[in-house]
Amino acid sequence: MTEESDHETHIFPVETRYHTMAKRPGGVPRKLALQRAQAKIDELKPAFNVWLDRQLQEFIAAVRQLESNPDNLSRLENAYGKCRQLRNVGTTMGFELVTFISDMLCDNFEALKAGAVYQKETIDCQIDALVLASKPPYCTLRPDQLPEMTSGLREVVERVKSLVAK
Amino acid sequence: MLRGFGANKLLEVDQSIEVLQALTNQKIDIMICDSQLPPHGALALTRAMRRKGDNQNRTTPVLVMTSDSREGTVKLTRDVGANMVIAKPMSPKSLYDRLAWIAFTQRQFIATATYFGPDRRFKIEGYPNGVGRRKSDKAVEVAAEAGPALGQDDIDSLFGAARSGQT
Repeated sequence: MTEESDHETHIFPVETRYHTMAKRPGGVPRKLALQRAQAKIDELKPAFNVWLDRQLQEFIAAVRQLESNPDNLSRLENAYGKCRQLRNVGTTMGFELVTFISDMLCDNFEALKAGAVYQKETIDCQIDALVLASKPPYCTLRPDQLPEMTSGLREVVERVKSLVAK
Repeated sequence: MLRGFGANKLLEVDQSIEVLQALTNQKIDIMICDSQLPPHGALALTRAMRRKGDNQNRTTPVLVMTSDSREGTVKLTRDVGANMVIAKPMSPKSLYDRLAWIAFTQRQFIATATYFGPDRRFKIEGYPNGVGRRKSDKAVEVAAEAGPALGQDDIDSLFGAARSGQT
């Protein structure tokens, strides 16, 4: 280890095995690596549909628990956590609309955490859209292919945000 | 995705405590960690990994995945010694490019009383394979943590903006 000491500060180069392996000759070209990664994702899609159905049911159950007691922070975190999972996995698996709508629901949960009043009608509307987005033919569509639906949902979120701001 | 990239040995754990246990017995090439990994999250895990002096994985590259991409959170992640943050949802392309960037961008390590990790003042020259800097990089200011979520480009720039004392 070489050091450039400046009082208690030590600066030194690091060459890990990861760096060494990445720089060695050969390996998988980027384009091929991306194709293979996408193929692996595609392999998981049948199982993902099952996971998505189950996750949606768990999420809806968590929301039902929350709406009976919106001030319960652990219930809020539970519903929010399940919603985040839907958002995070959706786009990766090609369900962009699921990510789009669950992202809006996440905004709603953020608003709740910030002190907004629980808006049952708003959340139910978004959940209905989410369930729709998880099924054919909507599951293969992008948000920009459903402008009326997405703009309507956006308006709902903006309304919630403005209520929080007040 | 990692298997598609050619990784043939993956170690998956559900708890950060299991990570620390696993790391005492073996050396890993790279750690990709969810920011919400229970019970303490990726920040505490990365900090513990970097600070433990006898840890053979102390300088191992760390990539943190997060859906909370607010500036304050990204900066905190950088400041515990993570090499890079990747915003979720992620695509094969976004993951591959960040992994490649970590591999091909040499960064010295800094050890001080309060920080151990890759140099946060590195000069960013752009990401491999055409993922370049944005013109707005130089204008990045670190704001209060309650700001809006950042896009991946902004996260990348925040890591890069530490050069020349900009953050």
